[in-house]
Amino acid sequence: MRADAQVLKGHLDTLLLASLENGPRHGYAVKEALRVGSDARFDLPTGTIYPALRRLEAAGLVKGTWAEAGGRRRRTYELTPAGRRRLASDRTAWRDFASAVTAILEPAR
Amino acid sequence: MSALIDDYLAGLRRRLPAPIAEEAAAGLLETYEHHLASNVGDWEAAHAALAEFGDLAMVASEFTRQAPGRRAARLLLATGPVVGACWAAALAGGRAWTWPAPATARLAFGAVLLLAVLTLLAAATSQHSYQRTRLAMLASPVILSLDVTAIAAALLIAPVLTWTLGTAVAVSVGRIAFTAWTLPRLAAR
Repeated sequence: MRADAQVLKGHLDTLLLASLENGPRHGYAVKEALRVGSDARFDLPTGTIYPALRRLEAAGLVKGTWAEAGGRRRRTYELTPAGRRRLASDRTAWRDFASAVTAILEPAR
Repeated sequence: MSALIDDYLAGLRRRLPAPIAEEAAAGLLETYEHHLASNVGDWEAAHAALAEFGDLAMVASEFTRQAPGRRAARLLLATGPVVGACWAAALAGGRAWTWPAPATARLAFGAVLLLAVLTLLAAATSQHSYQRTRLAMLASPVILSLDVTAIAAALLIAPVLTWTLGTAVAVSVGRIAFTAWTLPRLAAR
């Protein structure tokens, strides 16, 4: 099942940052990391990943670099120190939010 | 390479500035190669890649929505009423209609401001045309010049420096700093 695109949009930046946490990736690998990591719930059109990565790059959270491989130019994306800090703060905020929602939806009996 | 992929790449290059089109093209080719690697034919791989990558209009619109020109135009338009209100309060409080400023200069200032706001509106509301978001590059220096002109004129002509005028000048200085910081980034993208 695909997640509601509007709901996903609100968290896309954090998910993209998280997909780059373990090292640089190409755009397609970022998209696949989201799809596989979410058990195919977050299966975005690949073409929408690049504008989002570009926005994160403009915000200084991601750095994109061109490299020549297999006779073709490929762009690799990696987290900047500011991107790592943002990911850490987004993760903390998400944990707080999720635990508050869980406390209401599933109160201890 | 499949003609389908070639057509899509040509569409990207028509709709988006070269560096952005190249970034998207590299992504599409990566998707295409991924499908080719699963031992399907060229036509099937191209079809699968295009389906996975997304419709051309949708991808171009997504880049347009994220365009720095569109975002800068929106920010300038959103903060415009605050700057305008500060100046309106300062000018009304200082009885600016009695200041010795020629009517033609006042009219010219108003006309240029209106034109700049309309240009910013065009950039801010662009949904599909990346080119239109670049209008922000034209309007931003005009807004900067208007701020400088307003500050210079007020400081030269105003008989007394009131705190409302000081506030308006400070707000305009803030906008000048923001616009000056944004402009090189708009030009680079």
